[in-house]
Amino acid sequence: MLVIKDLHAKVGDRKVLDGLNLEVPAGEVHAIMGPNGSGKSTLAYTLAGRPGYEVTAGSVSYQGRDLLALAPEERAQAGLFLGFQYPVEIPGVNNVYLLKAALNAARKHRGEAEVDAFEFLTLVREKMKVMQMDEAFLSRGVNEGFSGGEKKRNEILQMLVLEPSLALLDETDSGLDIDALKVVANGVNTLRSPTRAIVLVTHYQRLLDYIQPDRVHVLARGRIIRSGGPELARELEARGYDWVLNEAA
Amino acid sequence: MSAMPIVLPSNRDENWRYANLRGLARARFEPAPAPEATQLGDIAGRLPAALPGYARLVLVDGHHVAALSTALPDVNITHDVDAQEKSGADQRFANLNRRFRQGTCRIAVPAQAALALEVLCVATASSHPALDITLGDGAKLQLIERQLSARGDDSTLVNLHLAARVGEHAQFELARIGHHGAKAQALDTLELQLDAGANMKLVQVIEGALASRSTAFVEHVGREASLEWYVAALGEGTQHHDAFVHVTHAAPGARTLQCFRGIATGRSRVAFNGHMRVEAAALGTQTDQSLKCLLAGAEAEADVRPQLEIYTDAVKASHGATVGKLDADMLFYLLSRSIPPATAESLLKWAFVSDVLAKLPSPELRSQVAAALERQLPGAATRAWS
Repeated sequence: MLVIKDLHAKVGDRKVLDGLNLEVPAGEVHAIMGPNGSGKSTLAYTLAGRPGYEVTAGSVSYQGRDLLALAPEERAQAGLFLGFQYPVEIPGVNNVYLLKAALNAARKHRGEAEVDAFEFLTLVREKMKVMQMDEAFLSRGVNEGFSGGEKKRNEILQMLVLEPSLALLDETDSGLDIDALKVVANGVNTLRSPTRAIVLVTHYQRLLDYIQPDRVHVLARGRIIRSGGPELARELEARGYDWVLNEAA
Repeated sequence: MSAMPIVLPSNRDENWRYANLRGLARARFEPAPAPEATQLGDIAGRLPAALPGYARLVLVDGHHVAALSTALPDVNITHDVDAQEKSGADQRFANLNRRFRQGTCRIAVPAQAALALEVLCVATASSHPALDITLGDGAKLQLIERQLSARGDDSTLVNLHLAARVGEHAQFELARIGHHGAKAQALDTLELQLDAGANMKLVQVIEGALASRSTAFVEHVGREASLEWYVAALGEGTQHHDAFVHVTHAAPGARTLQCFRGIATGRSRVAFNGHMRVEAAALGTQTDQSLKCLLAGAEAEADVRPQLEIYTDAVKASHGATVGKLDADMLFYLLSRSIPPATAESLLKWAFVSDVLAKLPSPELRSQVAAALERQLPGAATRAWS
């Protein structure tokens, strides 16, 4: 699904990713953990094509295609979804419009017909139940006036509606209370399938109590310095990052 | 009468610094004659769809056309030309209107009565529409004033004058929409007085003309009057849209909210100059100005100028003025949701002016305005409200 080789990237003059290698097969959930400033969010933004995140070397293959050759919207249309750590508010553009436009753009890219209003609302209502969201959210501006937890639920709602092949979730657990965390985790688990891959960027083990990862990676100084199974996350929770940083030094 | 010299303001006049007056030096101000009966069928076919619940009044080149209008007891057309001219640069276009107007449309809403009225000012050449409005105490007037060029490529000149006295505790909602042709010059002067407890809300959408200038003078005459003033200006190509609003708070407890949203694309220029004057007697006045412009063209220009002139300490006055570009974070968010760049930019521009557009008074009018903005904001206007 996703193969990253020797990826180097910088933001402005600051070199952030420094020879990162990662492979995420279809059907798997991978967690990327690491201390602050290690490059986790930069990796997510770079894969999603955010302007200002410049790849200076390396390659990224997504479903056999050169991901880096695609514009941000083309990556999304091809099935890549980025769940933002800080979803932006866009007053004046309502949620239901964004969801429908995004879904139809992705369907068009796949050669499928656009959904009509009835099909769309049926689909959205079903997904909103999973996310325990009130339908009133649909008519509000995108994330406008949402609490931190509501924004994160809205991100996962978008993901469930769009059904991406590859989901990059950047600290989706931050700012969530335990009940909201369970709802968000349930939404993510709903999406798991043998044809999809999910990459969770997180600081904490607690998200992984509800979303069982297949692999856990430690990202530090712009590269993956250690990989392991779910037990690695528990060890990091117990011992912190110093030991793994020291071992990698 | 018309042989008198025509004196225009110049950019050296402080309140006209941002106005585009170049094309007016050669403009022909003499008004077009009343339309022939044979023209009315063609004009009627170009009018926008009627708005449910609104009576309609049609002026063609400033001439009242009864055949296309609703007969209303509260509306009288008089032919009092040669109205008293006033001095000062800000009055020069109003004076031209007084000189050339082809009658005054007098709308008098009696005390406690209500009226919903759409006034369509159609221009085929030069016109000087004049509206004189009186709201009795406790009256309610919902007025939609729309200006249209009869044909899209007409070099029309519209110079409107609107005067209103809003009685005690009366409510005046005024929506102003311009559907001018690409070469049109649009000028207007508003003079408004608010009596005690009066409530006025203006929503204006400026787009379409080659050059436009709106000049408004509002005075809070009575205590605790309230004014909300929302303007959206969308410039493209080489268009030039300029608005100047002077609000005088002369009585205690006045409230004024002013919201301007301008978008300048291409080589266009949009400007808004909001002058708030709070006199010594206007204790407890509250004013708020939010003036924002979006620059969406390398050669576009935007000028926003909040001005406060305060002669009492007992006042709350806040103002904010910004000029910026499209928000990169918002744009990337939409791209990351598969939205193509051109649509994403249109959506964000729509969102930028939506504070104003959402205040338009009827869903049908909002739809018509959205359709009119489709060229400037392709794909956004008609879908953002779907």
